[in-house]
Amino acid sequence: MATAARQTNPDLFPDLFSKHLSDRLKLLLVYAILIVATVQTIYPLFWMVFGSLKTDADLFNNVWGPPRMMVWQNYVDAWRIADLGARIGNSIIITVLSLTVLLIVSSIAAYALARLRFPGRGAIFLIILATMMIPPEVTVIPLFIVVRTLGILNSRFGLVFVYAGTSMAFSIFLLRGFFMSIPPELEDAALVDGANRLQVFWYVVLPLARPGLATVAIFQGMFFWNEFFLAFIFIRQAELQTIPLGLVNFFYRYSADWTLYFAALSMVTIPVIVLYVAMQRWFIEGLTAGAVKS
Amino acid sequence: MGEPAARPRVLPASKYRGQKIINTPSNRNNPASSAAADGSLAKRKRYPRVYRHLSAYLMMTPAIVLLIIFVIIPILYGFYLSFHRWDGFNSPVFIGTRNYIRLIERDDVFLKAVTNTIIFAISVVLVKNVLGLFLALLVNQKIKGVIFFRTALFLPVTLSFVVIGLLWSWIYNPTFGLLNAGLELLGLEGLIRAWLSDQATALGAIITVDIWKWTGFHMVLFLAGLQSIPKDLYEVAIIDGAGAWTRLTRITLPLLAPVTFISVLLSLNGAFVRNFELVFVMTDGGPNHTTEVVLTHLVTQAFRFGKLGYASAMGFALFVVVAVIAFTYIRIGRSGAYNF
Repeated sequence: MATAARQTNPDLFPDLFSKHLSDRLKLLLVYAILIVATVQTIYPLFWMVFGSLKTDADLFNNVWGPPRMMVWQNYVDAWRIADLGARIGNSIIITVLSLTVLLIVSSIAAYALARLRFPGRGAIFLIILATMMIPPEVTVIPLFIVVRTLGILNSRFGLVFVYAGTSMAFSIFLLRGFFMSIPPELEDAALVDGANRLQVFWYVVLPLARPGLATVAIFQGMFFWNEFFLAFIFIRQAELQTIPLGLVNFFYRYSADWTLYFAALSMVTIPVIVLYVAMQRWFIEGLTAGAVKS
Repeated sequence: MGEPAARPRVLPASKYRGQKIINTPSNRNNPASSAAADGSLAKRKRYPRVYRHLSAYLMMTPAIVLLIIFVIIPILYGFYLSFHRWDGFNSPVFIGTRNYIRLIERDDVFLKAVTNTIIFAISVVLVKNVLGLFLALLVNQKIKGVIFFRTALFLPVTLSFVVIGLLWSWIYNPTFGLLNAGLELLGLEGLIRAWLSDQATALGAIITVDIWKWTGFHMVLFLAGLQSIPKDLYEVAIIDGAGAWTRLTRITLPLLAPVTFISVLLSLNGAFVRNFELVFVMTDGGPNHTTEVVLTHLVTQAFRFGKLGYASAMGFALFVVVAVIAFTYIRIGRSGAYNF
């Protein structure tokens, strides 16, 4: 028995378990922990979908289980009452526009910082590094005044520029890293052939930097789509609200229509989950690479 | 934009000795010929400096304008406002450091909010990273279904704080919440309580949700770090008779140091400010301010009571704390044994 226990696979959890544990026991333990962790991560989401299809009575008497009878009407009512169509539209507009402004402006600036030498480059880069770590939340009052002074309070346009402006430093930093990892010989060849910097940037560099752009798009796109705090401060008009604002509004305005809340929540969450599962590699890489590159 | 045009003329020629030939008027406007004429130097002197710098500044301008308007002016203006009493409509009244004195000496809710923010920050940073590392060790194996576990554990990262906050306020709901129903199922009726309106558990309940959302994120960070550790190190250690604990503390953790540095930095940076949504949605600072954080207090003072100057002082204090922590941490990390 002793010899059998010794012949364990050293590749299996080399840093986690003593070699005296048999492989089977290790596996059993690991699966047990992983299953518990996964269930507590995923079950609440199933519970949310279950709740969205229950009747009120079912929700209170049958807390854990699936619905006894499917009430699809909850979805119809929640969509109408929470005005989800308009909110989803606003979220799409704001996310897409913010990403467009951010990607265009930050990639051009990042390229200049990565490749061109000009007086003041060091100072600009230092300012970008310093402001990158400052979350916009801490300057929200003066930011509010700036936005009000510019006359773009309570407009989708205003929120787009707040989003793009406050994530600019981070995005430039990230893209600069990607641009610097592209071999400069390709650009030199294009320059020698008479292309100007913008042409080189557009036709040579951007196609090569696609993974970097995708990282920024996923990382910041998720952020814009989910953002609540800045939207809450800068958008007060109901018809301009994004999904997170709309949900909170719906939740506070109608008391105790629990099944409808569950339905509204399911409707905005399920598409995100489907998108994530379909593109999980991109999401996981984008969200973590975006963070690690800093 | 006048500067770049003037600059080349005042630069001492000696600095550019040997490159001058490329910049002679005859071939100044012909980058191709100059590049061909002198391969190694062409890289720096392809175009006349005037145009090259002009295009660089033009490329930087939109980004700099946005940065100045939405980042730099707010920081400076916030500092200015913090020394004023201001309702947002009449002109600000200079009152010196009175806002700051009041914060420290007379605002009990602010002190409570600071304490809660610190408790929140320390617990989420610690637990997220420890749990994330632990799960990363588990999913860093070639075992069946590991991709499924990774995908599932990362899932909450993609959901918004609002969605998660609403979902969890129902999980904590005393009448039909998942948590109390679960405790009942396990025969632990003694633990049943109204989690979010009980002063003893409200803050902990919110902290748990933040950890629930982010642990998968840190797991993936650590996983990437683990996968870069060479496997043969462990084989050698096993042959040398090192136990599991020794292998963890002598091989895995030291080699994970760069990843740990980043992972902690990321959690630390958000820990002081990315708590507004959860608190706002789940408890709105209650009961009796036991879940009040600096940001919720700031928003209440500014937008409910119109004390914009006072709220700016709060915001600036938070700014200083976040900045000092981030820079000290980065400094320690850079000067430490690990060179980032």
